[in-house]
Amino acid sequence: MTLIDALLQGILMGLLFALVALGLNIIWGVMDIVNFAHGEFLMIGMYTTYWTSLLLDIDPLFTLPVAALVGVLLGIASYYGLIRYLLRGPAIAQLFGTFGLMLFLRYLAQFLFGIDYRIIQKGILIGKSLSIGPFIFDWTKLAAGILSLFAFAFVYYFLNKTKTGKALKATSINKEAASYMGIRTDKMNAIAWAIGGGTVGIAGGLLANFYYVYPTVGLLFVMIAFACVALGGFGSIKGVFFAGLLVGILEMVFPVFGALVNSDFLGPHFKFTVVYLTYFIIVVFRPQGLFGWKN
Amino acid sequence: MAFLEISNIVKDFGGLVANNNVSFQIEQGEIVGLIGPNGAGKTTLFNCIVGYYKPDSGKVIFKEKDITGLRPFDTNRAGIGRTFQVMKVTTGMSVIENVMVGAFCRTDDRHAAQSEASEVLNFLGLGSVKAYYLNELPIAMQRKVGLARALATKPELLMLDEVASGLNHTETDELVLLLRRLTAEKGVTLLLIEHIMEMVMSVSHRVIVLDYGEKIAEGLPGEIVKNEDVIKAYLGEKYAKNH
Amino acid sequence: MEKLKDAFDFRDFSRAEQIGLIIFSIFLLIFPWLGSGSFVKAVMIQFLLFSLFGMGWNTIGGYGGQVELGKAQYVGIGAYTVALAMVWWNIPFWVSMPIGILLAVGYSFMIGYPLFRLKGHYFAIATICTSLVLQDIFANWKLVGASKGIELPIHDHPDFLYMQFKSDTYYYYFIMVLFYAALFYMNWFRRSKLGYQLRMIKDDEDAAESLGIDIRWCKIKAYTIASAFVAVGGGFMAVYNLYIDPASVMDLDLSIKIALMAMLGGAGSLWGPIIGAAFLVPLDRFLGSWLGGHKGLVGLDFMIYAMLIMVVSAYQPKGIWGIIEQFRRKGS
Repeated sequence: MTLIDALLQGILMGLLFALVALGLNIIWGVMDIVNFAHGEFLMIGMYTTYWTSLLLDIDPLFTLPVAALVGVLLGIASYYGLIRYLLRGPAIAQLFGTFGLMLFLRYLAQFLFGIDYRIIQKGILIGKSLSIGPFIFDWTKLAAGILSLFAFAFVYYFLNKTKTGKALKATSINKEAASYMGIRTDKMNAIAWAIGGGTVGIAGGLLANFYYVYPTVGLLFVMIAFACVALGGFGSIKGVFFAGLLVGILEMVFPVFGALVNSDFLGPHFKFTVVYLTYFIIVVFRPQGLFGWKN
Repeated sequence: MAFLEISNIVKDFGGLVANNNVSFQIEQGEIVGLIGPNGAGKTTLFNCIVGYYKPDSGKVIFKEKDITGLRPFDTNRAGIGRTFQVMKVTTGMSVIENVMVGAFCRTDDRHAAQSEASEVLNFLGLGSVKAYYLNELPIAMQRKVGLARALATKPELLMLDEVASGLNHTETDELVLLLRRLTAEKGVTLLLIEHIMEMVMSVSHRVIVLDYGEKIAEGLPGEIVKNEDVIKAYLGEKYAKNH
Repeated sequence: MEKLKDAFDFRDFSRAEQIGLIIFSIFLLIFPWLGSGSFVKAVMIQFLLFSLFGMGWNTIGGYGGQVELGKAQYVGIGAYTVALAMVWWNIPFWVSMPIGILLAVGYSFMIGYPLFRLKGHYFAIATICTSLVLQDIFANWKLVGASKGIELPIHDHPDFLYMQFKSDTYYYYFIMVLFYAALFYMNWFRRSKLGYQLRMIKDDEDAAESLGIDIRWCKIKAYTIASAFVAVGGGFMAVYNLYIDPASVMDLDLSIKIALMAMLGGAGSLWGPIIGAAFLVPLDRFLGSWLGGHKGLVGLDFMIYAMLIMVVSAYQPKGIWGIIEQFRRKGS
């Protein structure tokens, strides 16, 4: 794979990463809570798409609304069922609470679906690719990238142009001031979780088109999401978008470098190490990320 | 050389100049009051001295050593202690354990720390509440625990941040006596930020006045109350002119 | 020495706790003679091992108040040092273990220094990252066996130089000794200067700084102590299991379990990690073996833990010990 190829593939994956990280970012921004279960929400979105398309025998892309809906419900249920109670306690309790949720969902999936890796095999775009000049793109990944972009734009519009969205932004900037203006924090929290769950549900649905579906897939992606949120600056929507792209590019380009340099240690299996190191370096040396203002 | 020398401290918070070229000196054994209207920059100056903030320019020289910009734990080890205006009411450690943490600043041994802490608590009249937790005590006592804690670090200069706020007359009088004992018996130099005029005037040897980030007056309490600039700062032009 | 006396001094605990400790200790001492099966013995060994891990974690996570989720990397360092030393150079346990501890300490200083610029969630996530990075490296590094791991050569039993025994009883007493060493150390630690300073940092950082405490340095010290503890556990795992691989000694799941047990039992208290391990290890093992027979129930055990975690986090962040203390205070 050439460098330019890697770059383009990286951008496509990056768009999806950005979408995955978006939900995490919103929840973090509005409530200052880290949703460790975010990767599991993604995983559930993936399973939703998998099973829906299989059982109803329809193309996986058409199941996206279902994945989104399941995500929204999951987010709301999590908020009212657990998160609300965690808010009363110290930060440590919140951390562990969402951690518990993460484990619960992960092993629930394992319990219900077993540990097997599954992959969607039937669908309009599955296995087909598009050639533009010397570059070949999988249609599934192309669709994932494009639809992620749309989803992102939709959320951006929602946050900046609608009344509810602006209320959400206000709450994330200053919870108390917003509540004095009549914006109910509790409702905003629930909405944040609904959007967070919904967007990552869609991301899961898109991802399931070309990635293996298995119960522990969430961990990898939540770490990528953390890196994106840290890189982009906690709380910044634009930031997380560009960060997603950057991480996607890094992830794809890195093994290409490795191949060029012919090093054992720079192989493709280390590409996620790059992501983890990125998070670490950013958070330690530039905590505000590239664009963020909320620390 | 002076015990504590503040020279030309400037602290700018991106447009708001909290401290504008503030300079003064304190001699060992003095009790100095730092007063001024709200927003005059007293707390900022305080924090510049102990190290919470690093001054943009200027120097803090303590016992002939330049301590400008050192972190709070370093200034503490150098001999400067401080109390906080608002004490965080915590439930993790009892009163004596709190004070022992202060004592541990000067010793590694638990038993030494414990006896030092006991001594300080007794000196302040808190001997009976050693085993209590902060949330079980009234505010005046909580304040005293904060004072005990700082004292346990054996400071040579103790900086008190509005230690008299919220106290009634009796408590304030007790505090004044206590502060005088601190200087007389333990040789501690005191620098107090205060709003309660009665208290600061009766206990201080000297008073320094800040307004809008600048030092506008310095002198004996008796002089300060008659100082035109001070009156103007607190009460406005009208009262100064008519005085 | 005055200092050492503190380690054995349990007098500031309540009568009930002292008696409980004595009864528990007697039980532990005579346990192997109670004639239980090998499965139960293995569970007890795991319990003691995880208590050791938990107590170590407690220094930084409990007393220090900084939840960290990357302890497994130090288990790995301890385990791999002991294993490789034996496999490559035939070095006995008693020489390789101290080296492993030194390596763990060194590595934790190196990472700890930048790590402790962070707090709260950011810190926790960063600890996960560092652990995953190390695991990734070991899983791909052919020199140390990559993901296949390392098998330790079997010596004639019993071998006290290399700590290899045929009967579990020997391993049991070995881990029990380590357990008590850890317990006495923690008893000393909680009343040491560092212990007090950490507790102050946890309670009120600003005040701590004003009292001459170098916060970052204290946290690094606690973190390093925790790493040393955990590395010893890793060394034990190497000679007990005679096989290690990145998944068994460095995995994130292990880090989570360690932190979880300490937190469930009560982080920041001396008994907490032990209670947590006493609760979760048997649960894990018995559920695991019971469910293992029922193929369809894979994952149920973790689901139960997870629910436990959520409930405890929501209602009593101080864990089981916190609940016990609440009852005590109500009673008095």
